[in-house]
Parts: sequence; C-alpha cells; structure tokens
Amino acid sequence: MSLIADTPISLIVLCSGLALVLIGLWGMLTQRNMIRMIVGFSLTDTGVHMVMVSIGYVTGGTAPIINDAVPIAEAASRVVDPVPSALVLTAIVIGLGVTAVMLSVAIRIYKARRTLMIDECTESKW
Amino acid sequence: MVAAFFTDVMLQPLGIYVLALGAGFLVPLFDRAHRGSAMLVFMGSLAGMVAIAALNLYAIINGAAVIDIETAGIAPPFAINLRFGLFEGGVVLAVNIAALLGAWHYLPSLKQHASALLLYLILVMGINGMVMTRDLFNLFIFIEITSIATYALIGMERTGTVLAAGFKYIIATSVATAFFLLGTIFIYYQVGTLNIDDIISHGALIHGPIGLIATLFVLTSLLIELKPYPANGWGLDVYETANSGIASLISVGVSAGVFFALFKLLPLMDAYLDSIAVVAGATFLLSNIIGLKQHNAKRLLGYSSIGQMGLLTLALVLLEQLDAGAQIALVVGGLFVNHLLAKAGLFWLAGIVDRTNIKDWASIARRPELLILLGLMFAALIGLPPFPGFWAKWELVMLLGSADQYGWILLVLLGSLLEAAYLFRWFSHARKRDDELTEHVCSFWQPAPVAIAAALLVAIGFGMAGTMDLDVPAMFLPLLAGFGLWLIDGLPARVKQLAMLLAVAAGGYWLTQELTGINQLFSYLLVAGGLLISIATIYRNDVRNGFYPLLAVLLLSLAALLRASTTLEFFFSWELMTLSSYLLITLARAGIKPALAYLLFSLGSAYFIFAGFAAAFASTGSILLADLGNVSSPGLVFSLLAAGFVIKMGGFGVHIWLPDAYAEADDDFTAMLSAVVSKAGIFGLVIIAAQLGIRSDIGLDPAYVLGWIGILTATFGALMAVFQEDIKRLVAYSSMGQLGYIVTGVALMSHLGWVSALYLTVNHFLFKGILFLSIAGIVLRTNERLMYKMGGLIKNMPVTFVFTMIAIIAMSGVPPLTGFGGKWMLFNALMEKGWYWIAALAFFSSAVAFLYMFRLLQTVFLGQRKLEHAKLREAPAILLVPQVVMIAAIMAISAYPKLLLDPLSAAINPWIANTLVWDGFALQTHYGYWNAPLIMAIVGGVWMVPLIILLLVSLTMKIQKVEQFNIVYAAERPHRPEDTHFAYNFFAHYDRAIGFLVRPRATAFWNAVIEWSHTLGSSLRVFYNGNGQTYALFILMYFVAMVLFNGGLGS
Amino acid sequence: MIKRLFILMMLAVMAVIFLNLAGNYRENTELSRLGHYYAENGPQELGAPNLVTAVVVTYRGLDTLGEVTVLFISAAGVGLLLRRTRRKQDDEDLEQGDRAEETAGVHKPASEIVETATELLLPMVILFGIYVFLNGHLSPGGGFQGGAIIASGTMFLLLALPESHISRLMIAVIESLSGFSYVVVGVLGVLLAGGFLDNRIIDPGTYGALFSAGAIPLIYVFVGLKVGFELSAVLDRFRKEDTGPL
Repeated sequence: MSLIADTPISLIVLCSGLALVLIGLWGMLTQRNMIRMIVGFSLTDTGVHMVMVSIGYVTGGTAPIINDAVPIAEAASRVVDPVPSALVLTAIVIGLGVTAVMLSVAIRIYKARRTLMIDECTESKW
Repeated sequence: MVAAFFTDVMLQPLGIYVLALGAGFLVPLFDRAHRGSAMLVFMGSLAGMVAIAALNLYAIINGAAVIDIETAGIAPPFAINLRFGLFEGGVVLAVNIAALLGAWHYLPSLKQHASALLLYLILVMGINGMVMTRDLFNLFIFIEITSIATYALIGMERTGTVLAAGFKYIIATSVATAFFLLGTIFIYYQVGTLNIDDIISHGALIHGPIGLIATLFVLTSLLIELKPYPANGWGLDVYETANSGIASLISVGVSAGVFFALFKLLPLMDAYLDSIAVVAGATFLLSNIIGLKQHNAKRLLGYSSIGQMGLLTLALVLLEQLDAGAQIALVVGGLFVNHLLAKAGLFWLAGIVDRTNIKDWASIARRPELLILLGLMFAALIGLPPFPGFWAKWELVMLLGSADQYGWILLVLLGSLLEAAYLFRWFSHARKRDDELTEHVCSFWQPAPVAIAAALLVAIGFGMAGTMDLDVPAMFLPLLAGFGLWLIDGLPARVKQLAMLLAVAAGGYWLTQELTGINQLFSYLLVAGGLLISIATIYRNDVRNGFYPLLAVLLLSLAALLRASTTLEFFFSWELMTLSSYLLITLARAGIKPALAYLLFSLGSAYFIFAGFAAAFASTGSILLADLGNVSSPGLVFSLLAAGFVIKMGGFGVHIWLPDAYAEADDDFTAMLSAVVSKAGIFGLVIIAAQLGIRSDIGLDPAYVLGWIGILTATFGALMAVFQEDIKRLVAYSSMGQLGYIVTGVALMSHLGWVSALYLTVNHFLFKGILFLSIAGIVLRTNERLMYKMGGLIKNMPVTFVFTMIAIIAMSGVPPLTGFGGKWMLFNALMEKGWYWIAALAFFSSAVAFLYMFRLLQTVFLGQRKLEHAKLREAPAILLVPQVVMIAAIMAISAYPKLLLDPLSAAINPWIANTLVWDGFALQTHYGYWNAPLIMAIVGGVWMVPLIILLLVSLTMKIQKVEQFNIVYAAERPHRPEDTHFAYNFFAHYDRAIGFLVRPRATAFWNAVIEWSHTLGSSLRVFYNGNGQTYALFILMYFVAMVLFNGGLGS
Repeated sequence: MIKRLFILMMLAVMAVIFLNLAGNYRENTELSRLGHYYAENGPQELGAPNLVTAVVVTYRGLDTLGEVTVLFISAAGVGLLLRRTRRKQDDEDLEQGDRAEETAGVHKPASEIVETATELLLPMVILFGIYVFLNGHLSPGGGFQGGAIIASGTMFLLLALPESHISRLMIAVIESLSGFSYVVVGVLGVLLAGGFLDNRIIDPGTYGALFSAGAIPLIYVFVGLKVGFELSAVLDRFRKEDTGPL
C-alpha cells in the first residue's frame, strides 16, 4: 500500500497512460478486424492524452482557475500547468476527428468488400 | 479599415490562412447557392494563396525583413508565431503553385462534391501551416489537418482497393503522429516551452534518456511521414491506387511540409545526423533498385517519389554535417523544386493517360506533346540539364567530393542511374508504337498543368544557371535553337533542314570562333563535319518529326562542349549531347530498345566524368578545366575521367551498347554517331591527357592501362566485325575497333602518339562518314542490311562502290591513302615508347581488319546480283555530295599529309614539344621515313600502268560481254543466285579457329548485372506484403531500431 | 505465430523504452516557464479567470482554430465517405451493398421510456451545453465541451426518435457561418488589437463577470455552436450514411 501511496500521483497516471499506449499498439498490431484496430488506436490515443495530462501536474497543485479559492497573487504557486490541459483538449478533438474518418473508411470497406479483415485487403503490394 | 484589412492581413502571409479557412468554411454555402460559385471561390482562393506567397517572397528576395507573425498580440514563446522567410516563402510558393495546378488537374473529380473542394483547400493550408509555424504543438495540429484531409480525399473514390490502401495509410500515419505527440509532450516536460526557436536555444535542457527518447519520437515520426525504407509500404499503396490528383499532392505537397518540419527541427537532431543520413541514403538507393521490378505506373512513381525524398533528406543532412548551410538553398532547394514540379507533373500525366501498366503507355506513342512532357519530366527527375536537379546534384556532388565523401557520391550517382533505368524504360514503352493499342484521347487543355510545370522547371533551371557565373548564353544556345526548330517542325522537311543547317552554322560559328589549338581542330571536325553529314539527311522523303530540332541540339551542344572553360559547362553540354543523341536514336522504329542501353551507358559514362570532376574540385577548389592539371591526385582523377570517356567511345567490355545503337539508329544518323558524336569522347580524352597525363608527370600507370584498353578494343572490335552478317553492325564494330587505336594513341602521352591519334581521328571521321552514308544509300535502295542478301551492286551503284572502296582503303592502312600514315605513325610511336606487346596486337588487329573490309566490298558490290536488285538505281545525289567532299579531303591528305600534320602538331606543341622531323615531304623517325607524295606517285603509277594496258587491250581486242547468268560465266547455271551464295557465314572457317574469342561474354556479363539487380529488387521488396498490420509493425520496429542504434536503452 | 511472437518482442522493447521514460520521470514541483507566465499574467492580460481557456482561446488560439478546422474537415470527410452512392455513377458492388442496406435497414423504434426521458432531458441537455460554453472563461468547460454536450443531446434524439429528421441546411449554415465568424473575429484581432485571434478587441469588462474577457465568450459561442452541430452531423451521417449535398 505504501508503495502506491508514496508514488507521485502523476507518475501513476503517466504509467497507466504508457500502459494504455502499449495495449493500444498491441491491439492495432494483432487484431485483424479493422474496428478492433480502431479501438486499439483510440486506446493509444487516450494513453497519450493521459501522459500529457500527467506531465502538467505540479505537486500539490489545483485546477488553473483563478477564483475565490485561488487568488491571483498565489496563482503561480498553487495551480497545475494549464498548458498540457489546453493541449490535451486539442488532442482529444483531433483524435475524435481521426477516429471518425477511420470508422467511415472501415464502413465503406465493409460495404465494398463485405469484410473487415485487414489481411484480406492486401491486393496492392510489392 | 478596409485598406488595413488588405495591407495588414490579406497581403501578409497570414492572409493565406484567412483566405483558405474563410473560403473553406463558406464553400458549402456557396455550393448550395450555386455550384459554379463554389468552384470559383475555390480556384480563386488557391490563386490568392499563390499570389500572397509570391508577393511576400518577392519582397524578401528584394531585401525585406523576414516576416514574423505573432498571434494573440503576445510575443513568442508565450503565444504561437509563424515565420515567413526565404526558405519558408520558397517552399510555400512552390507548394501552392503545385496545388493550384494540381487543382486544375483534379477539378473534374473535386467539383463533384463541395466537401472535396473544401478538403483540398484546407489540405493545402495545412501544408502551408506546417511550413510556417514555429510552434511544436501547432506543427502537430497542421500535420493532423493535412492528414485528415488527405484521408478523406484518398477515400473519395470509394473502391475497395483505394479504401484498403487508405486504411493502411491512416493506421501508419496515426501511429506516427501518436509518436510525435509523445515526443512533444516530453520535450515540453524538459524545456518548458513549445516554441521551436525557444526549444532550440534551450537545447541543452533536453538531456538524459527522456530527452533522447522524446527527440527520437519526434524525429522518427517525421521520418516515417517521409516514408523511409522499409516502413513505407502504406505510402506506396496509396500512390498506386489513389486518384492522381491526391497522390500528387501527397507526394509533393505533404512530403514538402513534413520535410520542412524536419528541416526546422534539425538543430535538435545533431546527435542523430548519421542515423538520418543512413536511413535517407538507404531509402534513396533501395527504392530505386526496387523500382526496376515495378511495372505499375503510379506505384513506380511512388518508388521514385520515396527515393527522391530520401535524396532530399540525405542532401540536407550531409550539408548540415559539412557545415555548408549556404548551399542549402541551391542544393536542397533545387532538388526540392525539381522533385515537386516533375513528380507532380508525372502523377498528373499518369492520371491523364490512365494506363496502369507502363507497357500500355504505348497508347501515347502518337501524341508527341504528351511524349515530350513525359520525357521532360523524366529528364528533370534524374537531373539532366537544364533542369534544377542538374545544378543541385552538381553542387551536392562537388561538395561531397571536397569533403572526401566518395561513398555518398557513389550512392547518389548509382541511385540516379537506377532511377534513369526504370524511368527511361517507361519512356521506351511509351515511344513504342503498337498498332493494336487504342490511341489515347484527351482534350487539348488536360495536359496544360503538366506543360506549365515543365515550363516552370525549365525557367527555374535557367534562373539557377544565371546565379552560377557561367557562360549561360553558350550553354543554352543549343536548347534555344532546338526549341525554335521544334516550333517550325510542321513545315516541309527541306525547309526544316535548311533552317537547321543555318542555325547550326551560325550558332556553331558563334560558339567556336574564338577557339584555338586542339579545341579549334575538333570544332572543324564536330561542327563543320556535323554540318557536312547533315546535308545528307534530306535523302529520305518522310517528315522526320523531331529529327532536325534534336540534331541542332546535338551539334550545338558539341560546339558548346568545345567552348566550355569550366568542368560544369563541359558536363552540362556533355549531358545535353547524351540526351539529344539518345532521343535521336529512338526516332528509328527499332532504335528504341538499343537507345535505352545507349542512354544508360552514356549516363554511366557521364557519372564517371562527374565523379572525376568532383575529385578534381576537391583537390583544387576550382572548376576551371585549365586547373585540372593542378590536382594532387592526378591518377584518380585521370582514371575516373578516362573511364567515362572510354565508356562513351564503346571501350572493350563496355561496348555492348554500341553495335545495337549504331545498327538500329536511322542510317544517316549512324553516320553522325560514328563520324561525329564518338569524337566527343576522344576530345575529352585528349583534353584530360593534356591536362593531367602530361602536366603532372604521373598518372602513367593509368595511361598504360588505357593503352591496353585501347588495343583490346581495337582487336576485339575487329574480330567481332569479322563475324557480322549485318552490314551496319559490321561497320559499327569496325568503328569501335578504330576508336581503340585512337585511345591507344592518346595513351602513349608522346608527341608522335598524339599526332597519330588526332590524325586517325580525322581519318576516322572521313572514312566512317563515307562508309555509313554509302550504307545509307545501299539500305535505302535494297531495304536490306544483311550482306548475303546483296551482291553485284557495282553495276547499279558504281559511284557508291568507288566511294566505299576508297573509304576502305583509307581505313585499312594500305598505301597510298590516309590510313597508312596513321598506322605508320602509331606503330612508330608504340615502338618508340617500348610498348611492344601492344604493338604486336595492333599489327594483329590490323590484319584481322582486312578480313571484314574485304568482305564488305566483295559481298555487297561484287559477285552475283540478286534478281530483285536488277533495277536498283544509284544512291541519291544528296547522299553522295558529302561523300565527294570527304573523298577529296582523303585524297588531299593522302598526297600532302603535311596539310593536316602541321596544324595537328601545332595544336599539340603547347603540351609536348614537337618531335616531327620533316625532310622535304618526308616524315622522319628512328625507324624510317614516310614520304607520302612519293608513295602516292608510286602507287598511282603501279595502278595506272596496268589500267592503261588493259584499256588499250580492250580497245584493240574484241571482248565478249557476258550477261549475269550466261552459261559461259559458270560451269552450270544456278536456279537462283542465293543457292550458291558464298557470302553467308563467310568466315565460318575462322570462326572455328578463333570464334571462342568473340563469344558475347560482355553481353552475358551485363545481362547478369541486370538479372542481379532485379533479383535484389525482388528480395528487397518482400516487406511490402500488403498487410496494413505488417506496415504498422515496421513503423514500430523503425522506432525501436532508432532508439537501439542511438543507445537509448543505455541506462 | 512467429509474427505474433515478434510483435510481442517489439512491444516488450517498447515497454522497456517506456520504463526508461517513467523511471527518469520526476514530478514537477513548480510550473514550467510557460505555465508560470500564464498563471502570473493570464488573468490581467486577458481577463479570463480560467487559465486553460485563456491558453486555449488566445495564447494558443491558432491551435484552437486548427482544432475547429480539424473537426470541420473530419465532418466533411465523413460526409464525403459516407455519401449515398449515386446509381450509375459508383461501382457495382457498392451499389449492391447499399441496396441490401435499404431493405434490411428498418430502424427499431425506441421504447416509450427512452422517448419520454429524451423529451424531458433534451432541452436541459442543450441548455447545459450552452451554459458550459458561455461560462468557458470563468469555470471548467468551454466551446468544445459545450458543443460535445449539445451533440450528446442530438444523440439522445437519434436514439429516441430514429426517424427524426435533422436539417442538413441548418447544420451547413450554422457550421459555415460560425466557422467564418471565428475567422472574422481572428482578423479583427489584427485590425483592432495586437494580432491574429487577440481577444482584446472587446473591452475586457468586469473581471469574473459573464460578459468579460474580451472576445473569448464570443469565440466560445462560435466554437460551441460549430462543434455541437458538427458532431451532430457526424452522428447523423453514421446513422444514415446518406448526406446528399453537404
């Protein structure tokens, strides 16, 4: 228990994020079904987002919103880094966009081919 | 405020974004209102983006400051900023032009859907953003904008194949961008900023394993987007299947953006430059090897595209390593714009022609405008003059040479040669008329974007030449003349020929009027001689489209070659000569295939010369031809250059292109090739011998080797000529053999040796000119090239017979004609030098030469005439006119060799002291003397006396005239003359004795080389199994390899 | 099987690399240079209490414009990919696929509970979405979050009333105009304030009030509308795979 308690919170998020990246990669590399590959991609993407968020954490910091709880004068010493949060917001939307297009392509492949297996789509090669 | 809107926003680089985004957002609305208005907005915005980039770049070139655009009113690094400097401007302008032209090409598909229009627009904006942004995360956004728009446009066609390729593409690029994001965030973790300039200036903060892994994440991701071998199958699939409009934009636009991103981040990659160079170099070489196996047009373009990006990256990294930042604009910029316009143009062309297999491109064989465009693009891609790639490659190779990076030079040149092999093989297919294929149909305007791209390439190439302190008018005159003649190519042949002769005469005079010494001698031979032979070209009565423009380019580039004072001018004209003579050979119907071999060997030769010049530049730092002699390693430079010239002359072992090319070219052009074009190689050899062989006293070993190569060429040329049945092949081998003597003469490095070499050169010009023009007449009349199908033509073509006979006597080296003097001096020089074995071989091969010469005369002109040849007429007068001039020259020189020997000697004197000793009209050496007028008189007497006696006899005695098949003539009358024809397999008995010497071993060797390359190509491409997951795995492996290679698991 | 093993090996090496990253990671104890600047100056400079919003909308406004663009083009891309096959124009197998879909694709009606709940919740969801993007500069949330909430309202609607019709025209008009307006606001930043996307074109007003922080709420309105309608459009397209003209 103490091991987890002593571990900085952001490190846990970081490790979980990296683990998700690995799991996602595993999914993309081993699952022949394209929808599953897309799920793998989403996992990887989410993992990356977690890593980003964890990087922005400052020990003991709070949300970067200046209000009664965090007066302007103390802001710099009490809040977490707003930059990674802003980046993650952007990255999430982009991930969504990519996933949407991926899914549409998969749907179209299914319509054209009646299959979603990636190894049945190997006609262009060499 | 309206004015401010234009000056502060729309005319600034920021205007590109505003225009693209504003228009992009509104296109759907316009589309709903009116379809045409959406297209108008779309094209207008693209044009506006070109204009904005052009205006700003123009201002910067004229000294305006680099434009830094701050957003949000906050200074960087706290807000995102954009930069528009010289490099950014150049790339943005180039990409936008390509995008505008590409949109024109792509419009028929794009205009079907408003969303396609806006996707294209925003895709282009994304590329602009990748180039201009100075923020790492913002770069990621623009990469993603570009990627998503690309995905959607790829998938627009929605056939299974395209979609499958698109899915692989998406998977691969999204893994790459995930890596990029990871790298970015860890860099932020260490540096605390996202501004690229800020990161670079705090580069020291990127440290330890995290710094290394983060940098490698970013680096690998960008490299992956550039499609390195072998992690690039996904890119190839898209190039192969996607619409040419989007494929071209990916190949040139998206890659340009990513490449520029890499360029921006390169200061962070200092520790990894070696890895990048290896990766990029391997990609360039290997994709060109694999390209050899590929027959799918667009996939082949994909290989070429990937290779070119590899070359660009390699050049960038090598320049960075050599601290040659100043040359980046010229080298990388030149290669970049070259690839951009040429590759985009080729993709568009592939879209227009719409034939998957390059073998089916014969459908454009009757569309000269498409063929010309295809040829121009290919020439540009492999870096032939005058295109930007030529100047860039020149500068790159010179730089590499001066840094002693010969391995990289080898790689660059080898890769270029391989690329030339598959591109021009494609061109051969397109040239080959195939009556079964339906002709290609396309509207007049469809190829317009390609034509504009080609025009831009030429213009930029010309502009680059202007920056290099060269004799530009002289270098471009051949092209200008060719272009002018091409414009009047529709006129009757006589007019075209006259125009060509005038142009070459005037241009040639202007180019060569100030030459002196050896150059002047060669100018008479190449320009005046070339003109003389050109007179005969009118003997055919077909239109000969393209013949005269190309001939003008060829002859004027030879003139420019003589005039060159720098190695660069020399190489420029040399390549121009190679290209124009290649195209001239392809004009003959059967010439297309041999022409390819001709081109490849010629390019190989050019690359040896190129490397030699680089080695010279490395040592002297000068590109003046006159400084060649100052090099510190003359042996190396001499060997490289001599190798190049010997290949061009068809030296022993590398001759296999020669007989086919000579045999299959147009008959009059063969005369030009043998009599004139081959002299360019001799000229080069003499020049380097003069500069290097003499001046620097060393390099004698290479000269001795050269002597052997020359004599072996002579011997085997003669031996192989003996066993030919085809008259043109026979004379072709003979030509090769005769050049061998000249090589040996030059290699002697003595005054007498050089005099004999130059003397033989002039002589070779004369007798080969006569022989090939005679043959042209014979082939014209008989429609045959096989000698055993001829015979007895003396009755029909007596003049041709006499001319041929004189040429053969002049060639054979029997007194009294010119050949004797040449051989006599050569043997003297060999003995003087002590090269006895070579001398012995020279005697042997001269003897062998008699066999084929005798056969030529006998089987064609003497013996039984074929029945169907009974009514043949003499060769056309226009063919005979140049021959008369050359015969006169032979006679004059034979009687008074001093006419020629004095100027030759004078030209050589500056290099080697005169050793010719004249005693009246007799030339003296240790071994004897040669009194040409006396010999002429004696031999003339020996001939004339019997002749007079016979004439008297025939006048006084009654002689029975015998018809051809009179029983008196033979013991028995044959049914058909062929049954008893002696000329077939004439030298079978010799074949049994010495035939083993002439088995086609060189051909077998070169075929094996082709075989090996193809096998290598197939084993290198096993990675491309078509499975998207395998491709993703390669990307992962690629990253892992990068980390392991750079010691990322160290701690 | 060998391939599987190879993949595992690669992932294992990847894991080692990641361990290297994690092992060398030390949690930040103070803000990065950038973060520090934003925390110190953000509120005064831009008048937005929510620092993330300040960064998203203004300091990194170009990112956000790009992000909106990404969403816009992915909606367009989905529309392009899933457009209805026009007969005689696209290829045969696609056409067959579509026809099979048409005969089989009868949407199951939703249960009454779902329908009623939707009718009740939908206005509130949409209202909440609007609240989130209007207050983006003050409290957690913003244009994207608000837009996503609005889109989830659409999701409800589609689940409850599968046959409901969403006006393409309305989506297109709002999507285009809000995107265009965003660009216009950005340009106004150049003309009236310090640079592209500068939010200080409008008087910052009272710190902490609803109508404050310059153009941030305005931009978030456009972003919220745009995101909401675009995501709705994407959902709708996945439902029907028929877009007609965009």
